[in-house]
Amino acid sequence: MRDDTMKRPLARNGNRRPGSIAGMAVAALAVVVVAWPARGARVKAQTPQAVAPAKARVVPFEMLPTNHMLVKARINDKGPYQLVFDLGAPITLLNNRASLAAGVIKADAPRSFLMGMRGEAEVGSLTVGELTATKLPVLVLDHPTLTALAEITGRRIDGIMGFTFFARYKTTIDYKTRTMTFDPIDYEVRNLFKDLPDRLMGSRKARRRIVAPAGLWGMEPGKPSSDLAVPGVMVDRVLAGSAAERGGLRGGDLITQIDGRWTTSTTDIFEAARGVDPGHPADVVVIRAGAEKTLSIRPDPGA
Amino acid sequence: MGRAIMIGASKGRLVAGGMAVTLGLAAALGGEPRRDDQSRAGARDPQVGKSFRVPYRLTETNHFLVRVRLNGKGPFNFLVDSGAPLLIVGTDTAAKAGLKPRRDRYWTPLDRLDFEGGARLTDLNARVEDPFQLVGMNALGLPGASIDGILGFTILARYRLEIDPSQDRMTWTRLDYHPPDPPTPDMAKGEGPPPAVQAMNAIGPLAKGLAFLMGKQPADEVSPRGFLGVTWSEGNAGGGARLRVKDVLAGSPADAGGIKSGDGITRINNQEVASIKEAQVALAGVIAGDSVTIEVDREHARKRIVVIAGKGL
Repeated sequence: MRDDTMKRPLARNGNRRPGSIAGMAVAALAVVVVAWPARGARVKAQTPQAVAPAKARVVPFEMLPTNHMLVKARINDKGPYQLVFDLGAPITLLNNRASLAAGVIKADAPRSFLMGMRGEAEVGSLTVGELTATKLPVLVLDHPTLTALAEITGRRIDGIMGFTFFARYKTTIDYKTRTMTFDPIDYEVRNLFKDLPDRLMGSRKARRRIVAPAGLWGMEPGKPSSDLAVPGVMVDRVLAGSAAERGGLRGGDLITQIDGRWTTSTTDIFEAARGVDPGHPADVVVIRAGAEKTLSIRPDPGA
Repeated sequence: MGRAIMIGASKGRLVAGGMAVTLGLAAALGGEPRRDDQSRAGARDPQVGKSFRVPYRLTETNHFLVRVRLNGKGPFNFLVDSGAPLLIVGTDTAAKAGLKPRRDRYWTPLDRLDFEGGARLTDLNARVEDPFQLVGMNALGLPGASIDGILGFTILARYRLEIDPSQDRMTWTRLDYHPPDPPTPDMAKGEGPPPAVQAMNAIGPLAKGLAFLMGKQPADEVSPRGFLGVTWSEGNAGGGARLRVKDVLAGSPADAGGIKSGDGITRINNQEVASIKEAQVALAGVIAGDSVTIEVDREHARKRIVVIAGKGL
């Protein structure tokens, strides 16, 4: 179970600090954000994503002593390059050296004053294990946190694989076996670069969203409980002949969960009900007279 | 605008400078006794081997948030971040949850961490702190939700994580694996926060300043869809409308408006509806209190009925 990578030889010598890349993704994001006006609002249209052959691929990873996941990747058939895999990174990022070597950017690409940032580019192909992603948007940037991480670990680190890569797949991460599995899915990966400036520079008006239940339950939720220890929403009324009544729900019940989702607000109730298709039973956890009960309610087709 | 750009640029430099030292967050240097993984190695967690479907929210910034309760208090939104080495709880969140971080201890013990969907961990170490990504992102209001903490390696590695952005839940399967906490600075020797942490903490307020100039993004206003109280079915028995009312719940808005069992629904708010799906679409923007005009076929006559949508589902 315990293995060498989990020991922290670097940590012991006292003056080196393994640390967090946690901030890095966000920092990169912040850089994008702050650099945006300077770049002008040049926004590339979202590139249609190409999906690798529809077969799950297993990719090994290594744990750095700093608890970061490191993956070897070939970029445009060059490399391997060493990339940190980061679920918290909204983007995929490559440093200048790797980008140049792999032909992602040309040497004369303009640099911004900030971190040698060259902005958005596209990787023709990125291969990890037997999986190849094509036409992957990346941000080319020498991130100081990555540079520092490389120094601490004594490893070359060329970039970060983030959301824009892994959102193309159902990603399974198993820390115990040090493997990831990527299973292609049909999902349109949102282009952060495209939306973010609009959101930042756009109107400050709150957007309105209406949450619709998928079926008819026949109940009226009331106020959320004020008791922090027992968070839930009180049922004001159950309509006669309704799905809720058939499932045993009663007025005065405090609903704490629907279909495995916590219900601490009316919105929670509706968000949960949105996911329960008519005709399908959902577990509903209520507190009635101080005791917890689990009911099964099967909403009807209706509204 | 011009002003915002200048501030933005200068902040960018500070971020650039600040992040280099942010690495100190989980700073090394053991010394403080930590909750020992080995000591409870014998007691196998009853959740080992179990899978949990964990609801999540994908923010506009492409970050995954899941809801947790800390020692039973919450829920709070935590960021799923394999790039973070540990469990971080924001200071406000810690206060709300009744956690009491000690100045002379790097870790704050957490008895229980519950995840929405049923997963639970006990006996954990949390770091109470407001790193840049919490303060900065919350100040900008970017994610459209508050971020109250970060689930890093010491939490995530206890699960096999399946993440499919086309589904509304992740699947977490509990592994028989206790990742050790990272080594910590020796606070007992009176070491203050490392300069790295101080620098890091300076970033947050700056981001807040930026947010002040740019304006904080308001959270989405979420309203429940309005309620009618009819069940329906699709079919074409007897010709005419394809969408037919099966039952009208007594005491519901539809009942009050005069909808009857057997009515064929042809239009809702002037949109033709020939299926359940089309009816759902036509009703998608209706909230409690709205008038909904429903055209029905009843005994070969066409009627327009107005129903005032109610609260409920």
